[in-house]
Parts: sequence; C-alpha cells; structure tokens
Amino acid sequence: MITVTINRKKIELEKPVTILKAAGMAGIEIPTLCNHEMLEAYGGCRLCLVEIEKMPRLQTSCTQYVTDGMVVWTETERVVEARKAMLEFLLINHALDCPYCDKAGECDLQDMVAKYGPTTGRFAEGKRRHPESFEDPIIVRNMERCISCTRCVRMCSKVQGAYAISMVNRSNKTFVEPFSGGKYDCEYCGNCLTVCPVGAIMSRMHRHAYRPWLIEKEVDTVCSFCGVGCSMVLQVRGNSIVRAVPKKGAGSNKGLLCNRGRFGYDYVGSSGRLDSPMIKRDGKFQRASWSEAFTFIADRLKKIKDENGGSSIAGIASGRCTNEDGYVFQKFMRAVLGSNNIDSVASFGYAQAQRFFEGIFGQGVTANSMRGIPNSDGVFVVGGDPTAVNPVLGLQIRAASGKGVPVVAAGYMPGLMIFATSRLIPRPFTETALLSALVTELRDIKGISGKGPFDILINDIPSVSLGEAEEVCGIPSEDMRSAVDALSRMTNPSIVIGRDILQQPEGQACLLLLAALISLLNSRIYLLSELPNEQGLVDMGCLPDMLPGGRHLSVESFRRRYEEFFGVDIPSNPGMGIMEMIEAAHDKRIKALHVMGEDLVYNMPDSAYVKAALSKLDFLVVHDIFMTETAQLADVVIPSLSWAEKEGSYTNLERKMQLVRKAVEGKGMEEWRAVSEISKLLGFDMDYKSSVDIMTEIANVSPLHKDIAYADMAGGECMWPYKGEPLRHGMSLEGIEMPDKGSLLKKPEKDRIYIGIDKPLFHFENLSRNSAALSSIAPEPYMNVGKALADSLSLAGGDSVSVSTGTGSLKLSVQVDPDVPENSIMVPDNFGDKGAYTIMKWKMNSAIKAPVADATGVTIKKIKRAAEEVAV
Amino acid sequence: MLSENAVKEIGLIRNKYHDAQSSLLPALYVVQKEHGWLSPEALKEVGEILNVPKAEVKGVSTFYAMFRHRPIGRHLIQLCTNVACMIMGSESLLNILKERYGLEPNGTTGDGRFSLVVMECIGACGTAPAMLVDTDFHDNLTEERIVNILEKYK
Repeated sequence: MITVTINRKKIELEKPVTILKAAGMAGIEIPTLCNHEMLEAYGGCRLCLVEIEKMPRLQTSCTQYVTDGMVVWTETERVVEARKAMLEFLLINHALDCPYCDKAGECDLQDMVAKYGPTTGRFAEGKRRHPESFEDPIIVRNMERCISCTRCVRMCSKVQGAYAISMVNRSNKTFVEPFSGGKYDCEYCGNCLTVCPVGAIMSRMHRHAYRPWLIEKEVDTVCSFCGVGCSMVLQVRGNSIVRAVPKKGAGSNKGLLCNRGRFGYDYVGSSGRLDSPMIKRDGKFQRASWSEAFTFIADRLKKIKDENGGSSIAGIASGRCTNEDGYVFQKFMRAVLGSNNIDSVASFGYAQAQRFFEGIFGQGVTANSMRGIPNSDGVFVVGGDPTAVNPVLGLQIRAASGKGVPVVAAGYMPGLMIFATSRLIPRPFTETALLSALVTELRDIKGISGKGPFDILINDIPSVSLGEAEEVCGIPSEDMRSAVDALSRMTNPSIVIGRDILQQPEGQACLLLLAALISLLNSRIYLLSELPNEQGLVDMGCLPDMLPGGRHLSVESFRRRYEEFFGVDIPSNPGMGIMEMIEAAHDKRIKALHVMGEDLVYNMPDSAYVKAALSKLDFLVVHDIFMTETAQLADVVIPSLSWAEKEGSYTNLERKMQLVRKAVEGKGMEEWRAVSEISKLLGFDMDYKSSVDIMTEIANVSPLHKDIAYADMAGGECMWPYKGEPLRHGMSLEGIEMPDKGSLLKKPEKDRIYIGIDKPLFHFENLSRNSAALSSIAPEPYMNVGKALADSLSLAGGDSVSVSTGTGSLKLSVQVDPDVPENSIMVPDNFGDKGAYTIMKWKMNSAIKAPVADATGVTIKKIKRAAEEVAV
Repeated sequence: MLSENAVKEIGLIRNKYHDAQSSLLPALYVVQKEHGWLSPEALKEVGEILNVPKAEVKGVSTFYAMFRHRPIGRHLIQLCTNVACMIMGSESLLNILKERYGLEPNGTTGDGRFSLVVMECIGACGTAPAMLVDTDFHDNLTEERIVNILEKYK
C-alpha cells in the first residue's frame, strides 16, 4: 500500500501511478497541456509542475510516480508562479487571435491563461509568422497557434499508426507538418483534431461556421459507417449537424474515430435528400402524399399476393437500418405477406461466415470484445484490410503490434503492412493453398485429440506441404514457415476475418480451413463487418431461414413460438437468399420486391444484371434517403430517415447493442413506421408508437434479447444480450464438404489479370458519394496495381487506363502499390457507375449461398500518361 | 534517385543498429554526401529503405542543422564570424566573397560553385579567422589567402 498526501489529502494506492493520476483520483485537478488520456505521458509543457516535499525542484506530475509517504502540493505560490512563467513562454509565439479562432471557448490554452496566465507578456521581439495552410481539403493548419505539445504527432504515430505528421525544425522554429508540407495525404482520422489543445489543427468542414457556445444540443449516438459502431456525439445547431466528435472514453472506440465517422456525416444535410414519397406514373415520378403512397403499395402488394401467393414477393433489408426496422420488416414479410424471401447484403460474407462458424463452434462464437485484440498474444488477419473496413478495429491490431504481439497478415492489406510481423500475400484466389499449408503444419505441431467430431474433420483435411503451397500461392516457403512458427507459439490469439475470403471460387473451403485454424489455435474470432447493423439484421431474422434471435425457421417449436406471438402462420420453408431473389426476378419467378434502404444496383455485383432483373419486376418499392439508381427503377419510393434523424438500436460486430439517437429532424419516415402503416392497410395491425414499443416486443419474443431494454443499452456496454435462454449449439457438421487436394491447390490462370475489390478507407458503400467531405478526400475511382504488373504494362502512378471485362469497361487512374497480389488489380466498388461491381461477373456458391467472383480476367489499356494529363 | 552504392551503403548501416530509427542519421549522411543536400524525394527513399515513416525522416532531418534541405553549390564554405574571428577580420572576408563571387550568407554563386554559410565558432579562435570548405579546415585567413584557397576548389 502506498500512501501519498496531496494538498493535505491522504490518498491510498495499491499500485504506483503518476502524481497526476493520483491527484485525479482524489478529485484534485492539475492543469496540463501536453498530457492526454489517450497518449503516453510526455512531460513537455511543464504546466503540471508540482512541489514535492524534500525535492528541491518542481516536478512534472504527469511523469513523476508517487512513492510511499510522498507529500505533494499542487497550488503553492511557487507552483502558480512557475505555471504563469510557462504560459508566458508559450504565448511568446502564440498568435493570440482568439476572437477569430474557432477553438476559442474550448481551448485549453485559453482556459489556462485565463486561470494562471500573465495578462501581458514581456517578450518584445515579435512573433514568428507562419501562414495558415489551406492546401488540404479537410484539415487547416495554423502553426502560429501551435504550442508544440506534440499531442497530434503522438496520436498520429503511436495510436493511429498513420505516421503522417512530425515535428519539423528545432527550438522556436518547431512546428507540425505532414511530409508534403501541405496536403496531409493521411488516413484523415482527425484524431489529431481531438487532441490538439489549441486551434492549430482544425477541421475545414465547419470553419467559422459556429462557436462552441452556440451548439444547442449534443446527442450521444453511435457512428453508422461500419460494424464497429463507435460512440460519438453529434453537435447540433438549428436543425443541422455542426460536428461529429468522439465521446471521451466511451464505447469500444474510447475516444477514437475514423475519417468516415468524423467527416462523413455531411450527407445527412445534403440537398439531394428525398423529401416526399414518389409514385411512378407513366414512367415518371410524381410527388405523392404519405397515405396515397402507402395505399398504392398496399393495393399492389395485396393484388400480387392474391394472384401469385406470398412467395412471389421478396424483401431486402439493409445493414444501415436499425434493429427495430429489421424486426418490423421481417415480421411484415413473414406474417403479413407470408413470405420467407427476406435477406440482405450481409449474406455476401458476414452472415455466411458467422453461420458457418456458429454451426461448428456454437452460437455467439464471434461475439468478442474488440479490446481483446491487443490483449491477445497473436493476431492472424485474412480476407480484407481491417484498417479500411473497420478502421477502429484495425487500430486494435496496430496497438497489438505496438505491444510486440506478432501479427500475421494474409492477403492484401496496405493498412497493416508496416505492422505485420509476417506478410503473406498469395496470388489471386490461392488462399486455400496458403491456409491448407498452415493447417497441415499446425496440425502436426499442435496435435489434436481426435476425439471430437470436428477434430476428425480437421484430420481429414488433405495435407499440403509448404513447398506445394509455395508453387501455387507464390509465397516463399520460409515466409510461411516463420508464420507457422509465430502462430504455433500463440496461446490465445485473435483471428480477424474479412469477407473477401468467402467471395472466391473456393470460399467454402477457406471457411473450413479457417475453422480448423481457429480450433487448432484456440483463438477468438472477429468478423469484419462493413455495415453498422449487419449483426442486427442477422439477429432480427432478416434471413431467409432464420427467425429473430438466431433461430432456425425449420425448428417447429421456434416457428410455433413466433406464430403464436404474431397470431398468424409463417411459411415453414426457407425463402430465397438475396442472389436467388435477383435471379428469380430476372426469371420473373418473383413479381414484387420490397427494398428497405439498399442500393442494389451498385452495392451488389454485376450492376447490369441487377438492373435488368429489377426492371422485370411487376412492382418495386424502395425506402431510401436518396434517389439511388435502385430507387429510380422503383414504382414507389418512400423517403427514409438517416441514422441521425431517428431513434433505434444497432448491434455491432462485437454484438454490443447500442442506441442510435435522433439529432436532427428529417423529412422522411422511419422504415419501421412506414412498413407498419402499409401493414395496417393490409389488415395486419402493427401498432407501434415508437421504437421503444418494438424493442419491448423483441425483448418478449426473441430468446437472444430476453428482457433487453433501451436503458440497458444506454450505458454503452450492453454486449451479447442473453439472459440464460439456451443458445444454439455448435457441432452441426452436416453439409460441410471436404475439399479435395486438387481444389486446394488450384493455380491461377497464366497471363490472366484478376480484378479484386478494394475497400477504401474513405468511402462507404455508395452512400459516401453524397458526402462532400469524403468525396473531397477521394474524389475519383482508381485501380491499385503491383509493381511488376505496372512495369509489364508500362504504367505509372497517375496514368489513366481503361479496364475491361466481358461485361463492360471503366476508366480509372493508376496507383502503384507493391503489395497488390501478383497479376491482379484492386478496384473499389464505391463510385456508382464507376465502381468495380459494374464490370464484374459473379456466380452463386451453392454451399455457402454467397456470391463468388467469377474469376475471369480483365484487359487493361492505357489511355493517358500522367504527364499528359497535367499538360491538359 | 539514390545510386545503387548509396542504397547498398544504407543497407549496411541498417544492419549495424538494432532499430531502424537509430540508423537514420548515418543513412542521411550517405545521401547528403552523394547529392549535397536532402531532397524530399531522397528523404522518402531513405524512409522506404529503412522502413521509417517519411514524416519521421523529415522531422529528424530538419531538427539537425548539419542536414541541408536546399540544393547547394559544389563546395560549401562555412565561415566563422563569432567574436574571435570577427575581431580578426572575418567581416572583410565576407566582403571579399561578396565582391569576388557575388556570394551572400546562405546564398549560392550563379555558377553553382560555392555556397556560403556563416558559422558561430568552429573552435579555431587561436588561429582566427577560420573557415571550413566542405570538410577541409583553413585558418589564419587573410583577404589574399582566402582567394588563393578558394581558387583550388573548382
């Protein structure tokens, strides 16, 4: 036990902490500028100086640890005098342009000078000049205000791991600068904005648009740009969002945000938002009243149902919608329309991977806290770049790496490359070779009991030697060997799996091999989730064969439970999956499609096919916030509310249920409300007054959500809402096909250039096109290509090329990245008609019911060299 | 672009140190020896070779006064103007450089032959005034001597 006395207050401590922390525990505030709870102590600003008895000099309390019997004084005359002197020094080169500076009112320096500082300075030599830099689209740098506390640099390198900025020059000429001196070209997470104590690094988004004291309301909510669901605060003035900021210490993100979350909210206020229901008459959209639109929809759906049966109607939900929307929508499909044809794009990867792993290991196996990653003793990443798909989860992997934890990165993941201890980049679609070699080696090293049914299955996986794998996937044996060594030493590793691993011809084999690895390494599973509520869709039964709470439709007892609850029968046969629906629409086997918030044309592979299929429908309803390309094909469009305009809940990839709260008023209607209105007109009364009513119903009926209420979620730690109801067991190994060795060792075609989907950090589906901020960072589509392929095609960065497949062609600009797998290009799918999905052919993998890339090649033709572009 | 030799030399330097950061200063010297200064491209390249983030390379290199971030002439004159040298006439030497070569402190001659940096004591007070030309040391300078010496550097 350590006893320390601070300002006459006795504090007892178990473990030694810094004086600053000890004082904080006792409620004694010590001023700091360079210290920040997300960063390591630095001891640079000298404001936290304190007087310690028996020590001749003042000490920085942020770095000095307490010892037993220490007596500390934090506000003596000597300390206050020293602080005043420090502030006088800091102000020598500070602009003191507070009346003009956006930071005024929430500026640490301003507050501190007001409290301790000198009213006049004695320095007569004039301040250094440093013009404000507007070279960046997002961040304004004003180095006349910088006090060199280095918080931004430490945040950028030690926490974010972007290493974009550094302190340049020396002594009084020191300032912060990105490498270019102007544009940042960084990850634009904006976490430097969070930590800057002054107005030196500011966002351009709301420059001179408001003052901190003019913010009328702060709304605690979660971000809607990926499955992590970072806690954030929306600051509102009038009816518009002024700023999105992280909530100190809250949620899984603990004060961090990424560029999408911080800057991407501006689509909410975009002028392109739908503001009225639209009915298409004679090929033209006409504004309609709500009741007119709902009556129109109800009449048409009723007619189609009466004539062709409920199974001719299908529904597609979106991972952007809340749990409440998802629940009501599936209830509408099942109980009102009598159709199990309900699915979403979650089935392209997330839901299918989860279903596979839960089938083997049991329900909830992927529900793991993200914060566990840096606490594990190894990380294996495969199937996508976590730092782009789920940026804040990616930071956990970087943090693990920073602690010296080995990180094995298998595949193209630029954001992890300098953090990975093993970088394994297989040739396109040869992950099976790599994974089977790893499984073979680890099976020998770890040994398996051979008792359990899954062990037997692992034993049956064909042996693949490192040499055989090398020949196929092109990774040197010694690299795989060192990865095996690293993996075999891990005792509680984390395996992070992205959806790319499924979207390949041998997707199911990849899942089986990963399951074997998970079992052999006894690891925790994390599934990357691109949408904010993919997990929620799964939990709410927006799947063709699952009821809310992750219960199989085919299990009669569960179906009965819901039938009794709904008061009607539910068809017992599983419905169609999303890909089947599109095919069925194409074949005119389904007549009507009800789409809740999904832009199918661009968020699904093969846009032309999807468009053609949707055009063949007798009736298409789309709820959306923008007139998307899918909405344009609809007969009725219902304007929805964005995530910032409604109440509800999201379930993140950790299965944490979190509240989404209304910050501003929108002109649309919540999906659940619109669907209930239509339902009423169809004779099924859904009388929900608010989203609370829906959650209450969910808590009553879903075994997974028993007794859950919004109050439980409000704390932000409502993980895995499960109160003793039995979960689904694992070990259902039926239907798992054992791949033969030939299919594991399939080589890529010679001379074929493969196209893969790049997941850019700066975009989110096709929604981010409506965000001016995100579009300004990454305005145009591109193609990432490896060095060897670029050289052989004589391409250089900045060239424009045309990339063609049998389906179409795209004009893209070239970016050379040495880590792109051999003979392949990576193209993002986020630019509407300029996205990769528009030219890629896909087919259905019947085993995992997910689309897989039809691995046909592309041809690349150079249009313009970079230099010519400049000349033009 | 760094020469193959420089890349090789940096590789050897890297192997001498436990972490990449430690090898940064000697690696930057290699580049400066070859190019005379550190261009942004060179900083980036060094970062790539050593696997040190380029922003950090820039931060380190700009911290130290001995690294140059602007191109300089073929020969760098570092003339001391501190107290001892000043008393012994370094002012007139500066004038000579200006008259004869058009050379101002921190400037470069039009033909790219000389660059001039004014120094604060190079430890030769006993034999002042003194200067360094590249890495050669010259002291007891007079107006006549400095011209003779500089004529040897083409």
